[in-house]
Amino acid sequence: MPLQAPGIDREVRESVRDFLYRESLALDERRFRDWLAAFADDARYEIPVRVTREKLAEWELSPTSRIFDDTKETLEVRVRRLETDFAWSEQPPSRTRHFVTNILVDATDHPDEFLVRSNCLVYRSRGEETAPSIFSAQRRDLLRRDGGSWLIVHRWAALDQAVVNAHNMSIFI
Amino acid sequence: MSAADNSQGITPMLAEIREGIAQGRVPARIFNDQEIFDLERRKLFGKAWCFLAHESEIPRPGDYVTRSIADNSIIVARDEHGNICAHLNMCRHRGNMMCKSEMGNASHFRCSYHGWVYKNSGELVGVPYFKEGYDTRLDRKQWGLVEVRTESYAGLVFGTLDPQAPSLDEYLGGFQFYLDIYLKQGLGGSEVHGPPDHWVAETDWKICAENFSGDGYHTPVAHQFGFHLGYFPSSGATHSEGWAVHIPGKGHSIGLGHTPGMPPFFGYPDDLVEQMHESLSPQQLEVFSKTRTAVGSVFPNLSFLIQPFSLVPGEPGVRFCTMRLWHPLGPGRMEMWSWCLVPKGASDEYKEEAYKAYTLAFGQAGTFEQDDFENWTKVTRAAGGSLAQGLEFPYVMGLDRPPLEDWPGPGHAVSPYVTDTNFRNLWGTWADYLARED
Ligand code: FES
Ligand SMILES: [Fe+2]
Repeated sequence: MPLQAPGIDREVRESVRDFLYRESLALDERRFRDWLAAFADDARYEIPVRVTREKLAEWELSPTSRIFDDTKETLEVRVRRLETDFAWSEQPPSRTRHFVTNILVDATDHPDEFLVRSNCLVYRSRGEETAPSIFSAQRRDLLRRDGGSWLIVHRWAALDQAVVNAHNMSIFI
Repeated sequence: MSAADNSQGITPMLAEIREGIAQGRVPARIFNDQEIFDLERRKLFGKAWCFLAHESEIPRPGDYVTRSIADNSIIVARDEHGNICAHLNMCRHRGNMMCKSEMGNASHFRCSYHGWVYKNSGELVGVPYFKEGYDTRLDRKQWGLVEVRTESYAGLVFGTLDPQAPSLDEYLGGFQFYLDIYLKQGLGGSEVHGPPDHWVAETDWKICAENFSGDGYHTPVAHQFGFHLGYFPSSGATHSEGWAVHIPGKGHSIGLGHTPGMPPFFGYPDDLVEQMHESLSPQQLEVFSKTRTAVGSVFPNLSFLIQPFSLVPGEPGVRFCTMRLWHPLGPGRMEMWSWCLVPKGASDEYKEEAYKAYTLAFGQAGTFEQDDFENWTKVTRAAGGSLAQGLEFPYVMGLDRPPLEDWPGPGHAVSPYVTDTNFRNLWGTWADYLARED
């Protein structure tokens, strides 16, 4: 892909950026219902499994294995679970901080949908542990214009670590 | 000497530990102890048959994956003749690692240090400056990759570091009967859905191996949300129903949870159920058709779980199967490897659905998986504490319960499913290995 600036309105870019920051804030403040509302009804949320491969291997992100493979319906299940008193993995809850940078907005064939790439670093601290888990990911979102705001139609995030240094993934990227 | 006195190390205490296990007591410290770990590395993982790979991970000649037995990196490859072989992932010249990727395809491995080249079947075939440098002093036949003995059962490739180990068949000792529920889901057998997910956790591998040896007891509490949201085709009231079976002296065991009134083979598509009438024996059909949950372990550290699960509460269940390896990295530290097995002959739709159910429940972000590891890391931490060094845990559930006389399968079977019977056998076998003379 050539390193050229796409012809995207400054306003669209600003509004996408603002949306991603607010979405991160909802996650970090554990407003999971607000977060869920940002997904379109036909949304998909996926995180593929990364595999350490030789340089010229045909793939490095597994075409079939996923860490997350969710629809809005199953994301809802995850959120409903977090709302119970028995989601032990988040009891006490993780403290997370999402750092979102390098936001690039590109047009798609559809005038109301944009491809948004970003880098996402999630710092996660649990309990009294001094060692945090840090997840670094490349995200690719398909966003759909929804009145004055945006809906996530497809979130795809690829973690940079092949062996994640965390005993579970009870948080969202 | 009491269990609290550890000044002389753990070895002299093994006889006492073994006696305690038989009476239903297990010392807490075994779950986080450097000396136990060192003994396990040598006397258990150095002797047992250890899982390496599923044959479907390396379907074509040249395919390989890198795996481990204890702290040894091992290349598991399918050679140019289609045979599966395993070798230590270490160049014989100065010890460089040969394969640095998790998987790939290669007919030859070339060392990146001085360039020795081996066939994927292990023979040394290329030595730079062979004539100029070595004169006639290097016999290439003697310096092939170090071979690891392998044997397979129904697609599972195991390796052992012990040349004297009994055959895999003898090692499994009848547990094959129960493994078939995971491996013969239909006529084509099972295959992996993709590469495994793996991650590191501050947990001792044994806590997980025990849990998967049939711990139905934790489910209603640790996974209460599943009952609460209507995910699980069983309730707290009926959850204890079913059977626990183990192979005495071998350490393998399985818990078979049963929900009364559930249709036979609940959660499998009809065509697979039909195929299973051919792939399984009448005795297996009798046992498995009634099984809701089958959670079992091949000693020491390979486990399986099969269970119907609805992606969205209230929807019909989908059967998924996970295979997991609890790979020891150190005392209280392990690497988790998790695969999803699907029936080879099933439709793509069913495979996808089963895989989705697996990721939502038991992948790294799985809702059941998350809570297990949260508990296991805390058990591990507690076991490392100084006061815990003198403590024991009770393993007396079902201590005097006689085995079922009319059980159709091999092994020692008891009912209900909630019992410590399998675990006493697991720890007894584990302690036998650790106490063995070298
Ligand atoms: S270490 Fe491999 S060729 Fe020298
Ligand atoms: Fe569990």
